[in-house]
Amino acid sequence: MPESRKSRLTRPETLTALGIIVAASGFLFPTFELRAISALLPAAMLIGLIVLSVVLLLADQRKASAGEGAAPMTKSPKRVVGAFLLIVAYALATDFIGFYVSTVVAVPLVAWLFGYRSPVGLLIATVIVVGTIWAIFDFGMNQDFPTGRFWGR
Amino acid sequence: MYADLLHALPDVFALTNFAAVIIGVVAGIVVGAMPGLSATMAISVLVPFTFGLEPLVALGLMAGIYNGAMYGGAIPAVLLRIPGTPAAVATTFDGYPMAQKGEGGFALQVAVVSSAFGGIASAFALMLLAPPLSRVTLLFGPSEVFWVAVFGLASIIFLLGGNPVKGLISACFGVFVSVIGSDPIYGNDRFTFGQLEMLDGINIVILLVGLYALPPVIDLLETPLKTDGINSSKLGTESIWKALPRMNYWKTWLRGSFIGIWIGILPGAGGSMAAFMSYNEARRTSKHPETWGEGEPEGVAAAEVANNADTASALIPALTLGIPGTAVAAVMLGGLLVHGLQPGPMLFRDNPDIVFGFMWQFLFGAILLVLLGGSLATNSFARLLNLPRPLLGSVIIVLMLIGVYSIHGRMFDVYLMLGFGAIGWVMDRLKFPLPPVVLGLILGGFAEENLRLALRIGRGDPMILFQNTTSLILVALTIAVIVGPTLKKRYIDSRKSA
Amino acid sequence: MLNIFKKVAIAGAMTLAAGAALAEYPEKPIEVIVGYSAGGGTDVMARTAAPFIEKYLGEGASIVVKNMPGASGQIGVTEAANADPDGYTLGTFNLPGMMARTIDREADYDRDSFTYLANVVNDPNVIVTSKNSGLDTLDKLIAEAKENPFAVTVGMSSLGGDDHFALIKLQNATETEFTIVPFKGSAPARTALLGGHVAMGILNISEVAEFRDQLNVLGVATKERSPFAPDLPTFQEQGLDLVNGSMRGFIAPAGLPEDVQAKLLNAFSQLSSDQEFLDAMAATANPVEVVTGDDFKQLTSDLYDLAKGVWETTPWN
Repeated sequence: MPESRKSRLTRPETLTALGIIVAASGFLFPTFELRAISALLPAAMLIGLIVLSVVLLLADQRKASAGEGAAPMTKSPKRVVGAFLLIVAYALATDFIGFYVSTVVAVPLVAWLFGYRSPVGLLIATVIVVGTIWAIFDFGMNQDFPTGRFWGR
Repeated sequence: MYADLLHALPDVFALTNFAAVIIGVVAGIVVGAMPGLSATMAISVLVPFTFGLEPLVALGLMAGIYNGAMYGGAIPAVLLRIPGTPAAVATTFDGYPMAQKGEGGFALQVAVVSSAFGGIASAFALMLLAPPLSRVTLLFGPSEVFWVAVFGLASIIFLLGGNPVKGLISACFGVFVSVIGSDPIYGNDRFTFGQLEMLDGINIVILLVGLYALPPVIDLLETPLKTDGINSSKLGTESIWKALPRMNYWKTWLRGSFIGIWIGILPGAGGSMAAFMSYNEARRTSKHPETWGEGEPEGVAAAEVANNADTASALIPALTLGIPGTAVAAVMLGGLLVHGLQPGPMLFRDNPDIVFGFMWQFLFGAILLVLLGGSLATNSFARLLNLPRPLLGSVIIVLMLIGVYSIHGRMFDVYLMLGFGAIGWVMDRLKFPLPPVVLGLILGGFAEENLRLALRIGRGDPMILFQNTTSLILVALTIAVIVGPTLKKRYIDSRKSA
Repeated sequence: MLNIFKKVAIAGAMTLAAGAALAEYPEKPIEVIVGYSAGGGTDVMARTAAPFIEKYLGEGASIVVKNMPGASGQIGVTEAANADPDGYTLGTFNLPGMMARTIDREADYDRDSFTYLANVVNDPNVIVTSKNSGLDTLDKLIAEAKENPFAVTVGMSSLGGDDHFALIKLQNATETEFTIVPFKGSAPARTALLGGHVAMGILNISEVAEFRDQLNVLGVATKERSPFAPDLPTFQEQGLDLVNGSMRGFIAPAGLPEDVQAKLLNAFSQLSSDQEFLDAMAATANPVEVVTGDDFKQLTSDLYDLAKGVWETTPWN
């Protein structure tokens, strides 16, 4: 049975190709403001990306017409999105609240949410990770990590 | 000069100086083995700290870290398919398949022995041939360096993977990222959107951590119950001395060392290019190229020998001319300046004990790799993989953050890395090959810069690019790399049909 | 109501604390922001000078060097310009680069954003030619440039830096035209000269000190001969009015409390007479020329005007 129109357009490769075409076209605009010689290489690469993505798009659509199903990108999209969001949240927390506080919370939280539930193990792991980082970077090397923009300086 | 070399030896064996090398190697292996942490980052964190140390202690630490990290990067490359350092990308090609077949232990042993071999060869090149090799560097002006970059870019065609369209998209993406930052000639912004942090371009470590480390971390969290028993418990670590006779890779080692040393003395390209080229050459000349990429130990040997062979040789132009051969050598040059060691021909005359002592430290660092990086490191890191997957994932996330943050001490780079991570995850799932991105980033802007410098020297006349023998040889080599395989195939086909 | 009361109380407490801080500055570590990576020329200057400044500030002063590399020092200097003017954040400052950046790109600071403490290093420009160019005197070089405009290729570090301004001064003074080849930094430019890929180069004296046998060094752009190479004639001796160099020093944000400023200036001005400091700087190839306070401010202003003038006639990007 041929795929519906909508599912043909939401095939991962088709979506990616469309995404590259849009992004590369967007980046093309600033090249007009550059000197010709400055713009040459970036513009060539962007046009290359657009042309190649069109080829990719056509190939994928041909596969779709031939009734070839597209493999899904992931079997558990919720977990993938959740993992991404947690990582971004951790980076933001480091920036705004401070590295050590965020790390002490993030290590056990991520592990716990994704299925490792032993309290003792989580405690030991957190202590080892944070302790080692502190001992080497802060104590040993005077390396500062973000203390949190939120608190000011 | 050789008398100076011997004269410097006793100082190297002073307790603190030798201890510095040992500590450096161990620290280097650990840093290299941690996904997210790189040698560049470790040495840049170390440089200000060494201000108060004796020169040979400081330099010994750096020499040890450099050698250790170039091997250490192979550990996660083999076990997790995350290259620990940029130079370990090519190690993943065969190392990870070997680990999946239960030969991870042997892969790591091949890696450590090959790394040591490359490091020793490189140290000897630095000790014995630094002045003549620095004259070779002088032969390479902008037009010659441009052809070296083109030659490197041509080897992308071997890295395109099963789908050439996707491979080329990866390569274009890499080259495009390489032009972000200030224009190499005029200094005006290109695609920085007013962000000062992007003016110096995208650091390779940021891209690499995002592209290579984030997707596997998502994997670890996505399927938390998959056991990694195949990788870890059956690592199969027999004694390294028993494994040694099975490694008959002399040709690959010698060729890889030669390539690594050669790439090292040319400024700018660095470890990953050496590893890629050595891998391609070894595969091209192999009697059974079909096993490559499926877990061929010789592939691990080729990549690892070359990425250690450019460590000491990258210091040849750094010490004699002040132009570092790799990103790590650039940071180390800063460490030399801190101790008042000004690069140049006088350096060898003014501070022979320190310079030659430093070279010895490179040699001993490479030798120590076998002892320190052998079973001890291999076994302890393999244990880490027995950690529950969600925990391993969350620990790697922390390491990625501190590794990227510490390069310049700013969060901006961390956000940039996460952006590349998202792109990397899509590429990974849709089977876009990642090596062309890395090579494109390293060589794209580099080729452009040198082309435009050459054209300026020639006052716009492109014939400047073909004016001397070195350039013409490089052009011929590039053509051979591109058309060679097709001709060979056609020749074999015609023999078959005849 | 309570809130306002609270705010007033806090503000009062802070004023008191500030007053106390002024009385015994420095009472906590002073941070010096360096806009380059550890190990660069500016970083080495800051780290070499730090213990001496601590000594002259007295009272157990402590200085912490913080590297904020990126955008040729612009990230670090912007941070220093916008820091609290309490004397606990200082920064390094490079000329003419930091002023040129306010002209050739958008910058979040200008020449009035700083309290000028001291310029410490003045690394004068030198003109060098490669051995195989045959141009081994200044006269030959200028004659060749006059005869064949644009035929002489000049290797130097990026546009809008001290090397570039030196070349522009040279071109204006001699009515010649050269082809500029801007490398990424001085070391690659020097290497291209050593290999004979470019004919001439404009570098700084500290960068050629180790290479004098391999290159023709034609002269130095100072008023008096440099102690780095006492046998090297100045351009003025050779009848060419060319004085230019790369300068590195220390600044603080504008609006520093007066007594803090006085204390800092006093400490910095003692550097030039400290032989131990001069020796330490010589060992790291940093030619010292200490210019403090208002003179430093005037110097910066002059360089800004020069850069502005050049930009208006021949913008470089």
